[in-house]
Amino acid sequence: MTADAVDDAGDDAADAADAAGDAGEAAPGGMLIDHRQVHGAIEHYYERGWTDGLPVVPPTESYLAEFLAQVDRSPDEVVAAMPHLNRECTLRLAAINSIMAGCLPEYFPVVLAMLDALRADTGARGATRFSSGLWQSTTGTVPITVVNGPVRLRLGFNCKGNIFGPGFRPNATIGRALRLIAMNVLGLKPHVLDQSTHANPAKYTCCIAENEEESPWEPMSVEAGYGPEASTVAFMMMRSCMHIEARSAIRPEHVLSDVANTVARTGVLYSEKSACLLVVSPEHAQLLASHGWDKKDVREFVAANAVCTREALERAGKTGISRDMHWLVPSEHPDAMQGEEPTFERRDGQDVHFVLGSPDDVVVVVAGAANAGVSTVIELMGATTAPSGRGGGRLPAMSEIVMSSRSATTSPRPL
Amino acid sequence: MSVCTDKFRTTAEAMARLHGFEGYRFVTVPHPIASLELPQLAHLAADVLGEVLAILEVSE
Repeated sequence: MTADAVDDAGDDAADAADAAGDAGEAAPGGMLIDHRQVHGAIEHYYERGWTDGLPVVPPTESYLAEFLAQVDRSPDEVVAAMPHLNRECTLRLAAINSIMAGCLPEYFPVVLAMLDALRADTGARGATRFSSGLWQSTTGTVPITVVNGPVRLRLGFNCKGNIFGPGFRPNATIGRALRLIAMNVLGLKPHVLDQSTHANPAKYTCCIAENEEESPWEPMSVEAGYGPEASTVAFMMMRSCMHIEARSAIRPEHVLSDVANTVARTGVLYSEKSACLLVVSPEHAQLLASHGWDKKDVREFVAANAVCTREALERAGKTGISRDMHWLVPSEHPDAMQGEEPTFERRDGQDVHFVLGSPDDVVVVVAGAANAGVSTVIELMGATTAPSGRGGGRLPAMSEIVMSSRSATTSPRPL
Repeated sequence: MSVCTDKFRTTAEAMARLHGFEGYRFVTVPHPIASLELPQLAHLAADVLGEVLAILEVSE
C-alpha cells in the first residue's frame, strides 16, 4: 500500500458500489454463474485494495437495497467521521462494507448501532475518541463490541463458548464490517495511516455477546438503564487480551486476585492508569455470586488490588513522568519532569501504585462456556465513558439496536 | 514546523496530502528517539538544525 492509495480511499469505497454492478446480479431463475465471474469479482476487490486480506463478498445493487431497507434512515446520513483525516462514512457506504464483510441484511441495524456507540464514545475531555488519532496509534488499539438483549438469540450470536474464536457468522461479520469501514472508507490502511507496531488478531473482527442466560447478574444493558427487551451494542477500544486460569478457585478472592495481578502488569502502563473489560466465565460468575458478590463488589476488589510496587516500576524504568504526554519513563530520562513520579500509597510496608483510577475503570460482563474456571481480562485504552449506569457507575458507550418500522407494527421496532 | 522520525515519513506525507498540503516540508531524524539520552538527542538536533532553519526561511 502506498501513500498515494490513501487519497483514493474514500473514492474507492464509493466506487465499490459501481463495482457491484460489474460483479453482476444473481441470475434469475436459478441460472448458474460461471465461476470465473465470481472469482474475477473477488480478485477485483483484492486488486483495488478493498479487503482486509481475506476475500470479500462482492455487493450488488439489489442486495444493497435489502440492507438499506432494514433501517428508517437516509442512505446519505453520515454515520462515522474522522475530521482530522477529512473522511466521512455514509450509511450507504457502511452497508456496502457490511455486505463485503459477509453480513446478512438483518445484521445491518447492529452495524449501525455499533457505529452510533462508537460516536458516543468520549474521552476525558468529552470529545469523541473516534475523531482522535487513537485508531492510528502504534499501540494498535482494536475496537471490541459487546451485544446485549434479545437480538443475540434472534440473530444467533455466539456467547457460550469460543467467544473470541471463529465459527459464528454474526460475531465474525459484524466485527469485520467495522474494520472494512475503517480501512476502505476512512482510509486507515496499515503502513500508512494505521501505524500499529503489532496490533493484535482481534483487529480482523471482535464482537462478543453477553451470556445473559448463564449469568447470575443483570446484563450490562440493564445495568445501563435499558429494559430487558432492548438490544444494545457497547463499544470499547482494546489493547490486549489475556486469560485468567483460576480453575480450582474456591473463594472470590482467589479468582479476583488473579485478575488484579493481571491488570497490574507493568507492561500495560504507558501512562499512570489503565482500564479493563473483565469477561467473567459463567463458572467464575456463579462462584462469585454464590458468595454474595455482585458486579460492584467485583469492580471494587479489582480496583483496590490492582497495584504495582515501587520496586516493580523501578525495574521497568517507569518511575518518571514525561513532560507533555505524562507517560511513564525512567526517572533519569531526558524528558522526565524533575521531582515528579507516579502516585504511591503505603500498604503493608511498601509503596504501591494503583493501576486503576477507580472501580469505574473495570467493566464486567459474563460470557463464555460454563465449562471451566477461565476468564479473560481485556485491557482497554482509556477509561470507560458515558452513559452512567443505574448504580452510579460509568459504563462503556452504548447504543440501542433499532430496525425499520416497515416490517413491524410499531415504529421503530427494537430488535 | 514539524519534525518526526523517518519511520513516520509515509504517514506524515499522507496526512499532509489529506489536508491539501501536498509536498508539505518537514524534517525527519533517524528512528528511534524515545530511548535516546540527552547527548544523543543534542547531536540529532544539531544535525538537522540547518534543515529546520531552511524550512523556516531563517538565516543562521
